[in-house]
Amino acid sequence: MISLRADRRDVAAGARAMAPWLAGVVPFGLVIGVSAAQATVPTLAGWLTGPLIYAGSAQVATIGMLDARAAPVVVVAAALIINIRLIFYSATMARHWRGTPWWWRLVAAYLLIDPSFAVGLDGYRRLGRDRAHAYYLGGAVLLWVSWLAAIGAGATAGAGLPTWLHLEFVLPLFLIGEAVPKLANPAQRRAIFAAATVALLALSAPLQLGIALAIAVGITAGLTVRPDAPVHPPHPLQRTTEVRR
Amino acid sequence: MNAWIVILAAGLGSYLFRLSMIILTGRITMPPYFERASGLVGPAAFAALAATGVAAACRGLDLTQAAAPLAAVAAAVIAVLRTGSSQAAILAGMPAFWITTVLLPS
Repeated sequence: MISLRADRRDVAAGARAMAPWLAGVVPFGLVIGVSAAQATVPTLAGWLTGPLIYAGSAQVATIGMLDARAAPVVVVAAALIINIRLIFYSATMARHWRGTPWWWRLVAAYLLIDPSFAVGLDGYRRLGRDRAHAYYLGGAVLLWVSWLAAIGAGATAGAGLPTWLHLEFVLPLFLIGEAVPKLANPAQRRAIFAAATVALLALSAPLQLGIALAIAVGITAGLTVRPDAPVHPPHPLQRTTEVRR
Repeated sequence: MNAWIVILAAGLGSYLFRLSMIILTGRITMPPYFERASGLVGPAAFAALAATGVAAACRGLDLTQAAAPLAAVAAAVIAVLRTGSSQAAILAGMPAFWITTVLLPS
């Protein structure tokens, strides 16, 4: 049964549970907005990656590859490869959403992304199924609104900033910031070095195919590391808000 | 196909991924390596895009001119390693870029 009127407290609790995630999500949205404003794609099209793709990494790849004039099919393929994890989230949530109305499943699935998955799953573990629906929706809607607002703010500010600031370099730096902490994991480290090497070697590949090739080689290289290989503990100060990908 | 259609297609595909198992649940099972691979997609994509972005910033520049983006990368890597915070990359990297640009002979 979906009854949000009766579950206002659970909606609010879900929103409160989402609030800490926003500290990591909002700056990411701002960076995407700025990069959309600085890219050669129309700023509105860059902003629309928010409501349409609604997944930060895939949005970054889409804007970056469109800006680099990659072939359309390559851009779509790269975005979908990055978003393939959504299938796992879908599989996990399917049992909680079984028997709910179709409209609910269509809306809930649209809002499914790393932070809403984490907050929602916590709700389904702790609360009853019906209360957890409201909890999920409270967190997911707050995330969605914040995400689109952050991208919009970044796009608006980014369009008016002077070129000498070289804000086009914010995105590579952001990506470096995301990749470096993952070097502690052996499989991810191998994936990162393999992907970066292939990307550099394939810079002159036609249609920007080098990026898609680099991602594929990186994943394959990472898979060659045994799953039980030792993983270094994360840095004690390392943020854990990276699920927004 | 223009940018609008590309974004629409990527968005539609992403939504179908989100819906996929909700519709197909119980009908198919995923191999274990598929789940392992999904954890590697993000790091591989970030690395590939970052390397391409840095290379694009350095393209056509001599070593002196390329010092600004390279200094920014170095500052970003060191800052993230020292603080453990991803956001330190931008906070350290962009000032390094600007300072190096000012200090370089034009």
